[in-house]
Amino acid sequence: MTKKARRLYLAIGIVVFAAAAVGLTLTALKQSLTYFYMPSDVAALAERPATTIRLGGLVETGSVIYPKADDAAPEITFNVTDGEETIAVSYAGILPDLFREGQGVIVQGRFAPDGSLKADNVLAKHDENYMPKEVADALKEKGVWQQEGPAAQ
Amino acid sequence: MPNIYELANPVRFERLARPAIPWLAGATVILLGAGLYFSLFNSPADYQQSDSVRIMYVHVPAAWMALFTYTFLTMASAIGFVWKHPLADVAAKETAPIGAAFTLLALLTGALWGKPMWGAWWVWDARLTSVLILFFLYLGYIAVWRAFDDKARAARLAAILSFVGFVNIPIIKFSVDWWNSLHQPASVFRKGGPSIDPSMLTPLFLMAIAYTVFFAAALLQSMLNELAARRLTRLEAAETKTGSVLVES
Amino acid sequence: MRALSAIILRDLKLAFRAGGGSMQAVSFFAIVIVLFALAIGPDIPLISKIASPLLWACALLSTLISLDQIYRADREDGSLDVIVATSEELVVTCVAKAAAHWLSTGLPLILATPALAILLNLEAGAYGPLILSLLIGTPGLSLIGAFAAALTVSLPRASLLISIIVSPLFVPILIFGSGAATAGAGGDPQFMSNLMLLGASTLFAAIFAPLASAAALRSNLD
Repeated sequence: MTKKARRLYLAIGIVVFAAAAVGLTLTALKQSLTYFYMPSDVAALAERPATTIRLGGLVETGSVIYPKADDAAPEITFNVTDGEETIAVSYAGILPDLFREGQGVIVQGRFAPDGSLKADNVLAKHDENYMPKEVADALKEKGVWQQEGPAAQ
Repeated sequence: MPNIYELANPVRFERLARPAIPWLAGATVILLGAGLYFSLFNSPADYQQSDSVRIMYVHVPAAWMALFTYTFLTMASAIGFVWKHPLADVAAKETAPIGAAFTLLALLTGALWGKPMWGAWWVWDARLTSVLILFFLYLGYIAVWRAFDDKARAARLAAILSFVGFVNIPIIKFSVDWWNSLHQPASVFRKGGPSIDPSMLTPLFLMAIAYTVFFAAALLQSMLNELAARRLTRLEAAETKTGSVLVES
Repeated sequence: MRALSAIILRDLKLAFRAGGGSMQAVSFFAIVIVLFALAIGPDIPLISKIASPLLWACALLSTLISLDQIYRADREDGSLDVIVATSEELVVTCVAKAAAHWLSTGLPLILATPALAILLNLEAGAYGPLILSLLIGTPGLSLIGAFAAALTVSLPRASLLISIIVSPLFVPILIFGSGAATAGAGGDPQFMSNLMLLGASTLFAAIFAPLASAAALRSNLD
């Protein structure tokens, strides 16, 4: 084989490998390799996973029930929603500062037999918007508030 | 205006860099003071995070710098690798510890912000993991420089490692878009303009400029130190030779 | 082509004969797994749950300790200079060296995996995904590892430096490999996407690692 031919084969090999690698990556990313599931992802599964999963979504407005002071096992319950599906979550532990209704959260835990998720850990997800409170209020007043979309950002 | 080849001469580089350092250091102090004043006292609290948002002004520019310094390091390495210019090698070598420090600062301040906001010091999501890998890449790069006595060889090998490690940079940048990560997506450099209120951009950019000027000052000073150290080694070698002292090597 | 198969055959003979690195890596693999099992104690459900990630991480560590060997013997007896000087394409030679390393280390590790998986009470459904992910991922480890070995070949001792260089570069393969093995066992839909990203990582390693290895060898031998 001449040097030229060898180099040509080498270049072709590299291009083929690179194309395959990029193709695989793009296909995989289209299937969305996720840090967490959304409620509709869980609904699409044939059965509820038996292992610990991470569930992401918004805390449904009006669904948060805080424990009463005299409860034997104080547990907070709330619903996580992505606008289509909703999953009930119960949690006993310290909540992050950003936890509130309408806020994106990631809940880690296992499914209880009744289909609700028993959380070991609740993480609040922050979005990419930063603004003073006055601006947020003004935006809401003007009706141009768009940040509470159906998906947790 | 001296051209690039004249600048690349170490002697001329020293003549220009030495007087520039006090100015850059002074500018760092002023910018950092102003940036911190705006970050801590003269900017509004966030509508959701309240005062914890102030950690962002230290964290976000540090993360930008961590990416910028690695890119700078790779470019300097490439120039040194292709044109075999020692000054570019020295620049790449001296960038690494500064870059590692910025990466560590970003990781630590991120953890401080994550605990109250997310509810966890650390999570293994794509953004956090890839930045941690960046930190280890910096450490590996520094380790390669330290392992080889022959500076020219160390420069070439460290450069090769920096090229391989560069694949991590786009992964860090796009990790929040490719994967559903816990970390929030880009707020400033994104399609449709920044999603940060202008009143919060002032401290953010002041801090970013302060970090950049600090990087320039620290880099120039450590390059001068390295050049002086190399000159000392050469002088010692020359002395040993002329003194005709035989040294077992 | 003849030269390449000669390199691979010679490396394999050296690895499998007495004193070769192949047995050492597999023994190390077995010992580390046993140590983990002993440290965790009698909690069988826990062990069986973490068996796949544990086997993946230990296979990676066993690969790590064998990397120093790839170019060192050749360097010491002078044959590396001959190989570099006479290679028609040094890049292809570097692929051959990595392939020989995988055949002598990666493949025996995979063959040993089922036996060790029994010790860890791995679920029956998890064997297939685990072995498949190891088959796709370990060639990437050999390719990246051979690059680190080439980078440090002119140093008298390098195993620690190799670990520092190689560990961050191994991370994607570990994440996607272990992720695929775990997801596959649970019937998780993320199995395929993990497997595809694992394949992509190995392919990227196959492109960049030999190019970087060849450049590193040249820089080390001039």
